Amino acid sequence: MVKTLIKLELLKRIRSTSFARSLTIGVFMLLIGILLLGYLLLFGLFLNKLITEVLEKPDAIYFINSNLLYFFLLELIYRYFIQQLPVINLGNYLHLPIAKSAIIHFLLVCSFLSPLNIVALLIFGPFAFIELKATFGAAPAFAWLGAVLLTSWSMHWFVLWFKQRFEDSLIGTLVVFSALLVSIGSSYFGLYDLGAFFEPVFTFALENPVPVFLLAAVLILSYFLCFAFYRQNAYLEELSEGDHLQFANQDLGFLSKFGLAGEMANLEWKLIIRHKKSRTYLTLCLLFLLYGLIFYNNPAYVKESGFSYLFIFVGTFITGIFMLQYGQLFLSWNSPTFDFYVHQKNGLRALVKGKYLLFTGISFLCFILSVPYVYFGWNVLLIHLATFLFNMGVTIHLVIYMALWKPKPMSLNKGSVFNYEGMGLSQFLMIIPLVAVPYAVFLPVAYWFGDYSGLLALSVIGGFGLLIFPMISNKMADAVVDKKYEISAAFRQEL
Amino acid sequence: MIKIDALKKIYGTTTVLDIPSLIIPKSQCLGLVGNNGAGKTTLFRVMLDLVRATEGAVSIDEEEVSKGEQWKTKVGAYLDENMLLSYLSPEEYFTALRKIYRLSEEDLQLHLEKFHDFFNGEILETKKYIRDLSKGNIKKVGIAAALLGKPEAVLLDEPFENLDPSSQIRLKKLILKEKEENLVTFLISSHDLNHVAEICERIVLLEKGLIIKDLEDKSHMTEELNNYFNVS
Repeated sequence: MVKTLIKLELLKRIRSTSFARSLTIGVFMLLIGILLLGYLLLFGLFLNKLITEVLEKPDAIYFINSNLLYFFLLELIYRYFIQQLPVINLGNYLHLPIAKSAIIHFLLVCSFLSPLNIVALLIFGPFAFIELKATFGAAPAFAWLGAVLLTSWSMHWFVLWFKQRFEDSLIGTLVVFSALLVSIGSSYFGLYDLGAFFEPVFTFALENPVPVFLLAAVLILSYFLCFAFYRQNAYLEELSEGDHLQFANQDLGFLSKFGLAGEMANLEWKLIIRHKKSRTYLTLCLLFLLYGLIFYNNPAYVKESGFSYLFIFVGTFITGIFMLQYGQLFLSWNSPTFDFYVHQKNGLRALVKGKYLLFTGISFLCFILSVPYVYFGWNVLLIHLATFLFNMGVTIHLVIYMALWKPKPMSLNKGSVFNYEGMGLSQFLMIIPLVAVPYAVFLPVAYWFGDYSGLLALSVIGGFGLLIFPMISNKMADAVVDKKYEISAAFRQEL
Repeated sequence: MIKIDALKKIYGTTTVLDIPSLIIPKSQCLGLVGNNGAGKTTLFRVMLDLVRATEGAVSIDEEEVSKGEQWKTKVGAYLDENMLLSYLSPEEYFTALRKIYRLSEEDLQLHLEKFHDFFNGEILETKKYIRDLSKGNIKKVGIAAALLGKPEAVLLDEPFENLDPSSQIRLKKLILKEKEENLVTFLISSHDLNHVAEICERIVLLEKGLIIKDLEDKSHMTEELNNYFNVS
């Protein structure tokens, strides 16, 4: 049974129309992944040295134990954003005589095969095998490592449950965000040291196997919490159904002023607030607005003159995250309704223009909302202005240009329970070139003429981009019109 | 007037459509029949420039569909759900179309009133998105949308499929009325021979992309079709 399911899933991947593209991304991701995991292993190997020599803490074990909690909080956060459930189309299997629980078990066990689950092993494994084994002996070292790994793995199931239970609701975002604040706040302001409070748990594991058994029980419990929830909700219908029309029927009235393109932007706005996936992107946009708090008041980035170059990156993200994220899947968002746009007179052009309009509008809104950062100094406002201009003048076209490379269909209407299509690490990775471009402009100028000249260069190039905006946006619209047959064929999955 | 000239659509090595010539005069109701895979939907897609023709061309009022866009204001069509914005409610969808076609609100009201019986109170004011409607009701939205904006020609792919018997009869009446009052050209593909034979004055029979019968004689239509489709 399991064999058949694995085979079917594999076939689905291989026969997908976007297989070649997924393969390229897959190979690239694999290389990056191996590289990252290699770094982590290196970090693990030198962990002891780092703590005793660089941080000058005499007792490495005590230090690690009292900071493990922060590691786990961090893990919770990155798991929340990166971890995903292997997609399986429930509708294909539910009506067949396969036990529902078998399908869910299959899903959950598959999800466990993730590089995220060996991160803790790579970081703390070497420490346990080299340092702890030498000091305490083999058994306590294994017990300690076991306790750490079991905690990490419990989190795997917990996050799967949590994401499914609270995703797309404000509560989920708030909980994750407060976890972030608690972890940063408590250590930064030194109000209370949660880490020291939890320190005895892991120290105890060195002396006694009881915590290992307890944590194993937690692992099993968290698995079954997850299992029970997924099993209960293994239906095709949405989890929460209600009068959704009332929630999401707001028009963005001002857009109507822009003619047909404005109308398309309006429709696109409705598309965004009515689909779970696009809503997530919008939420992410709000989250990134607060991103600056981590950097701007951080003493590590304060310089005597000018500002840290990292702030360009922060500014680019704060003012343009929606465009960067949503733009990656430029036309895929419209894949279920693409024929509609093709069939309307000037429909495709208006669609592209509408998207430009929407990206500009939302980025502008983000820029306005980020103005209070001026509290951290005028240069922050200047950075935001420069990066905003650059985003609008240059990056926006780059995003769209890159996204036009073989767009693939994406289903937005699929029951949201198991739909993580298109989301994940690869989306984050494709942003790399887009972040590199502002630096390519900023760094040389800043190096020769000073930081603020660098900002000026960004603004000027961005402003120039805005001046020739109609020309480039027309070119992009032309490109879409030229490729309309290929795109619509790909979206109909015919090829 | 719609003119098809030496049209071919080839996927790989298989020719799925091969029509040397077909002329559909204004206000004709043309039925397109044929078994699965005969090329009906492909023909519609090529006519609407959704799929590129391998050879030949389709012209609407002397304008080649792959070259211009002026014809789009004259042609309404509903082929499948890809042509709807399924994340909107029917009202919102009609409003969006109204703005695209630059019609007044009164125009839209008048248009929707024509469909009052056809909609049977299940489309408008239901507070549902199009994607949450039943298949039959989605089809009704699509057909009403295809007829919006006073089109001169309307292409409907399997319009009777998924509709209840009363709605099928209402649809036939609607089509005949539009044809008489506004001289609308209709192209209708269907597997329901009785329906097409009843409303269409001309029936084209496709088989593997070829036109093998072009019937304009109403008296022998049903007989000829039955002869073709009857398998023993």
